[in-house]
Amino acid sequence: MSGSRPSSERRPTGIEGLDRILEGGLLGSGVYIVQGPPGAGKTILANQTCFNHAAAGGHAVYVTLLAESHSRMFAHLGRMTFFNESAIPDHVYYIGGYSALAAEGLDGLVTLIRGAIQKHKATLLVVDGLISAQESSPTEREFKKFLHEIQTLADLTDCTVLLLTNVQRASGFFPEHTMVDGVLHLTDELSELRPLRHIRVLKLRGSAPIRGLHSMRITDQGLEVTPRIETRLGQGVLNEAEVAWGPKVPLGLDALDEMLRGGLRSGSITMLLGSSGSGKTLLGMQFLAEGVRRRERVVYFGFYERPEAILAKCQRVGIGGLKEGVEQGLARMVWHRPVEGVIDELGESLIQTIASFRPQRLFLDGMEGFKRAADFPERMSHVYSAIAQELERLGVTTVYTTETRALFEKTIEVPINGLSAATQNIVVLRHIEHHATMLRVLAILKIRDGDYDARMRELRITDDGLQLLDTFAGASGVASGGGVSNEPRMTGLE
Amino acid sequence: MATSILIVDDEFGLAQMLREMLRESGYEVRLAINGRLALQILDEAEVDVVLTDMMMPVMDGAELATAIRTADKHRSTPIILMTSLPTAVLRLDGLFDAVLRKPFAPELLLGTIVSCLKGEDARVTARSSREEH
Repeated sequence: MSGSRPSSERRPTGIEGLDRILEGGLLGSGVYIVQGPPGAGKTILANQTCFNHAAAGGHAVYVTLLAESHSRMFAHLGRMTFFNESAIPDHVYYIGGYSALAAEGLDGLVTLIRGAIQKHKATLLVVDGLISAQESSPTEREFKKFLHEIQTLADLTDCTVLLLTNVQRASGFFPEHTMVDGVLHLTDELSELRPLRHIRVLKLRGSAPIRGLHSMRITDQGLEVTPRIETRLGQGVLNEAEVAWGPKVPLGLDALDEMLRGGLRSGSITMLLGSSGSGKTLLGMQFLAEGVRRRERVVYFGFYERPEAILAKCQRVGIGGLKEGVEQGLARMVWHRPVEGVIDELGESLIQTIASFRPQRLFLDGMEGFKRAADFPERMSHVYSAIAQELERLGVTTVYTTETRALFEKTIEVPINGLSAATQNIVVLRHIEHHATMLRVLAILKIRDGDYDARMRELRITDDGLQLLDTFAGASGVASGGGVSNEPRMTGLE
Repeated sequence: MATSILIVDDEFGLAQMLREMLRESGYEVRLAINGRLALQILDEAEVDVVLTDMMMPVMDGAELATAIRTADKHRSTPIILMTSLPTAVLRLDGLFDAVLRKPFAPELLLGTIVSCLKGEDARVTARSSREEH
């Protein structure tokens, strides 16, 4: 940048997730290109930054070049909470620059910008519609000279500059990128029928930004950016030994706790793997109910059944105490719609809930909810791994469900890649046919570094809660769905 | 001789459209993209009505109106402010004869110009700054 050095002072954009990606914000006298297709959110990003800057006591000048009219822009921004009319014109000042550009070319535009920065003591400048300046330039060299003059101006006045421009693609060679301190690329695309917005830092001098695509959403609050969750979770040091040797966390089902030699290890992660209707959710709720009974804090985090429905179901089948736990502040129910979600926001919501509420127990009902919210399926194993590590770091004992596709399959497959490795314990639930009767069966498949009872048990859902029966004693081939007892069927409760 | 109107606005598209619209209504129209250029035109030409934006580079609408009101030549020239902002947030200090909030209907602008030229109180048609204060 021709020897000019941006001030190392950071100016936050005030958009929390974006500032996290940018290592705290934009450089004091840095010049940045914000690019993307029409409708990607460039104007909102820039205006939001202006008003946040004004709220922090700064002054911003917003110059438009053949962009939408100011009144139209205000009408669009008016519904957003960051838009504060009273900050205009004293702290945020809007001017049209195209007339000067058309009459006097790029030199005229630079003069106009210089005058505006000085007059309004601006520490933030936005030029909306850089493409017009580029198209007005007779040669590429003239346009580079214009950018150089803007840099010099930014340096002299300690003003941060955002240059907004329309481009469809992020790749390729853009000469102007070599002239600026940073390039932010915004996208707005469809994944099947779901709209997905992303922001990506293509370049950021003097910083180590979080690279890659980050989720973005436009709401009444303005632009909301959620950094890719796998880049910032699971960074802490795990203490496997603590998990391996931590105290036991009982589920409150005597037979199952016996199979687990007292319960799950504190801080461990347990997968309940099974087909639809096999009792996974109720077993998870039993795990939470036992926590409430012990006056522990517990969290339900789910995607499919609404909290009120699930609490009612628990009461119907004798899993008591959870509704009261919610009322007493011991239990928290968090529910997200399974569609239109953004995986990074879901992960953020989960981790924020755990970090703020500090529960001893977490039941995550339907790990597939994360998969459905994924923008890129190839991210999933990294996301799961990061979330699992963060949950371990937070020390919460976690039970989650995931569903096998078929009801009566002979082989058992974990439907989501990357889950098993991040899971210490696996409990399988499934339906089987036994003596011409459909039964629910439960078996422990894996307990990391621990002893357990590997026998298969019948899981029965009664009006008095869940019960485990030793139905299959002496039977063989149960797991493949066709178990035949070598002894008379046992019906006694354990 | 046609009535002369000076439009002062830095928003290129809007200024062009207003000029065409007012010409079609029989007015003679000049354009300036900021207050300072507007003062130069006022020095050199006869202007019957000034139609100005508020936020502009170099010299804004309030500075322009103050300069007009303190100069001998155009002290009594009607000045109409066009702004995207609610006048409550602007410190207008009675500088303008009428205030039009953008976007506005062309008829409202034409009616306000006529009222100002007749020396009528334009507040009825266009909500003046005095009324909002």
